[in-house]
Amino acid sequence: MLLEVRNLQVKYGDAPAIWDATLAVGAGRIVSVVGPNGAGKSTLINAIAGLLRPSRGEILIDGVDTARVPAYRVCDHGVAIVPEGRRLFTQMTVMDNLELGSYRAGAQASRAEALNEVFSLFPVLKERSNQVSGSMSGGQQQMVAIGRALMARPRLLLMDEPSLGLSPAVVEDMFRIIRAINERGVAVLLVEQNITKALELAHHAYVIEDGRIVTAGDPALLLNDPQIREAYLGV
Amino acid sequence: MSFTLLAQSTIGGVLLGGIYGLLALGLSLSWGLLRLVNLSHFALAFLAAYVGYGLGTRFGWPIWMSGLAILPAFFLIGIALHAVFVRFKVGEFASMLVTFGLTVLIESFIQWVWSADYLKYETGYTQDTLRLGSLYIPLLELVAFGFAVALALGAWLGLNRTMLGKALRAAAQDGPVAAAFGINAAGLSYLLAGLCAASAGVAGVFIALTSTLAPSQIEAWIGVIFAVVIIGGLANPLGALAAGVLVGVSEAVTMALVNPAWAPLVAFSILIALLLWKPRWL
Repeated sequence: MLLEVRNLQVKYGDAPAIWDATLAVGAGRIVSVVGPNGAGKSTLINAIAGLLRPSRGEILIDGVDTARVPAYRVCDHGVAIVPEGRRLFTQMTVMDNLELGSYRAGAQASRAEALNEVFSLFPVLKERSNQVSGSMSGGQQQMVAIGRALMARPRLLLMDEPSLGLSPAVVEDMFRIIRAINERGVAVLLVEQNITKALELAHHAYVIEDGRIVTAGDPALLLNDPQIREAYLGV
Repeated sequence: MSFTLLAQSTIGGVLLGGIYGLLALGLSLSWGLLRLVNLSHFALAFLAAYVGYGLGTRFGWPIWMSGLAILPAFFLIGIALHAVFVRFKVGEFASMLVTFGLTVLIESFIQWVWSADYLKYETGYTQDTLRLGSLYIPLLELVAFGFAVALALGAWLGLNRTMLGKALRAAAQDGPVAAAFGINAAGLSYLLAGLCAASAGVAGVFIALTSTLAPSQIEAWIGVIFAVVIIGGLANPLGALAAGVLVGVSEAVTMALVNPAWAPLVAFSILIALLLWKPRWL
């Protein structure tokens, strides 16, 4: 298994945002985690990426517990994140952001190749490579955020609310791009409030509420289960 | 009011601005990129000045040799101090208190070794000047200005054209995300802290050569350099130098045109005016 999260607990101060989460992502799969606002979705993703450190539990990537390695070493195990709100290095150019995506030693050698791939996925970034990233539109910033993550040559891409704040047309694009990235062999763990879209896209899904995984399964079944729709998804 | 007097004070101001820029550089980088307001930067510069003075007067070292010794020594001092800041988790606000304490310590040390008297480091070239028509350019201050430009340019290139520099800026903006892309901010911060202290060493060498030394002079620089750092923009090496020159020239021209006693007002008047005006580059 590419990613296995076991009995994860993550706290902000004394208050756990994730109580006990266990989930898995197989190589090359798209897995969605859905649930209401404040359920702990972002916390989960951030902990896997090393942005937050868990207080308990394991985050195994190919069997290696990355919860126990320094935060800046987590990416060496093949994870990259598209954080909520993008969190670009806004004062730097698009190119700088992309280059920093491939900062880790294992990605530097293939920087040119990765750059070509990102530019083929997002041609507009090539045109605007010298633009200061903070001055771009929301949709373009999201492309930079995804591009930056792909520059790290991940096997697992963590995406936190990639559709947040984007116009409906751009949201369609975004989901099409996630599928395209996945078709290139990158596994995706997707956290989304756009539940219908997230479940349509995924091979497997988890429902999270109040910091606990409450149910999991085939996304189509979850989406069509009236009880689950009513209780957890609010759709 | 003659043209010569105005031109001469402008030259003096530009050159003084070089020293301001030299001192402001390290403070600006450590404040902007490490979130440490390092008041002891001034004390370190004066320590370097006194060490340069001591090596020169007691052991007869030429200043370039003292400089070559001071540079790596201060790089290591910067790293050691940073290790203490990291060990005790010193944040932005606490850093001011801690480094103020450190300043007092270094000042006492200087006073203990070199006394509180005014000292002047006289070398064979202290009085050397270039003549430009009716204008004089003091040679040492011109060299100091050259170093200020070189260091500011070097720092700018380092921050904007190298991966390490970009990584530092990224980590300063968003530490956790930078770490998620493999940037070891803690490791880089030691490098930067060492370089900042080394730049204080360079500034100190030129302070020794161009001004009168007294332990109490440490505080005299703090106000104006703070103004320079803020006018120049945090973590902006070229801005720090430009602001240094702006303040230096304004001070010198005020002294010549109005009244020498008004000069200290200038730096803060400019700062306040700019803070009210809020130009985009600030």
